[in-house]
Amino acid sequence: MKSVVTTVVTAADAAGRFPSTSDLESVQGSLQRAAARMEAAEKLAGNIDQVAQEAYDAAIKKYSYLNNDGEANSNDTFKSKCLRDVKHYMRLVNYCLVVGGTGPLDEWGIAGQREVYRSLNLPTAPYVEALTFARNRGCAPRDMSSQALVEYNTLLDYVINSLS
Amino acid sequence: MLDAFSRAVVSADSKTACIGGNELQSLKNFISEGNKRLDAVNTIASNASCIVSDAVAGMICENQGLIQAGGNCYPNRRMAACLRDGEIVLRYITYALLSGDASVLEDRCLNGLKETYTALGVPLQSTGRAVGIMKAASLAHINNSNTEANGGKRFRKMEMKDGDCSAITSEAASYFDRVISALS
Repeated sequence: MKSVVTTVVTAADAAGRFPSTSDLESVQGSLQRAAARMEAAEKLAGNIDQVAQEAYDAAIKKYSYLNNDGEANSNDTFKSKCLRDVKHYMRLVNYCLVVGGTGPLDEWGIAGQREVYRSLNLPTAPYVEALTFARNRGCAPRDMSSQALVEYNTLLDYVINSLS
Repeated sequence: MLDAFSRAVVSADSKTACIGGNELQSLKNFISEGNKRLDAVNTIASNASCIVSDAVAGMICENQGLIQAGGNCYPNRRMAACLRDGEIVLRYITYALLSGDASVLEDRCLNGLKETYTALGVPLQSTGRAVGIMKAASLAHINNSNTEANGGKRFRKMEMKDGDCSAITSEAASYFDRVISALS
């Protein structure tokens, strides 16, 4: 999985050399920024149920026709699956914050996303609304430090762009 | 290839759980102790050729048959191959130490190594002994505990801040042990 360390090691291995000073410098750089990401990951992990629930509620509020008969949010099974999907994205964001790259989202969230939603006849706009709500809801320093919030919002924007 | 962070992600994903609490705490330790790790990698990389040649020389000292006709380090061509392999093993250990996970060492170095050596007729016990000497030298370098009596003319002490390096030392030792057990 792609991260600063694995990129550095892959490059060093391709050249057949020991980790050089510049390799160590780039790892050091990513470690310095990592504290903010860990903070965001910790706060998100602690509140993921509420964050997902609020985001899901906001999406259903905006697209209330989804509750009508035959729509994607019309019965309890569908409702719980919608909420689970939103939570799934938040969990992948948590992983990306830990890794320091978009690898988990790319590999487990975005790859094949469009095809799945199309074949299940699901609209992507409500997901965009849910994730946008989550992004706008975050507030520094109430929820986390501003640097942590920047890292968190960047990843939410990344998912939103992939869906829209 | 995984590092300490992506290893945590892969194991959390298998439980569909978020990463928080204890796992995050060990990653935070990884970050706050990061400079020790970088110093350890740097000290091994900077002294690599010394560590490798010393280990191969020590291995031969203990088993002179290796450099007599028919031995596996005779002639120079095979001795050179031996030095090269020592350096490759040490290089992958520095990669593992840098990423905090053994997957790069396992996937790119140890996978099939024993079978290759058996097929080529390389004595596994001698190889294991050379890795053992590299382990002792590397750990001494990481702790800066090498002495002039051990080092002789090639004695060298790196300029590093002293501190408690027991965690990174035992982690490095585990990678060397992994190589030794893969070869036996």
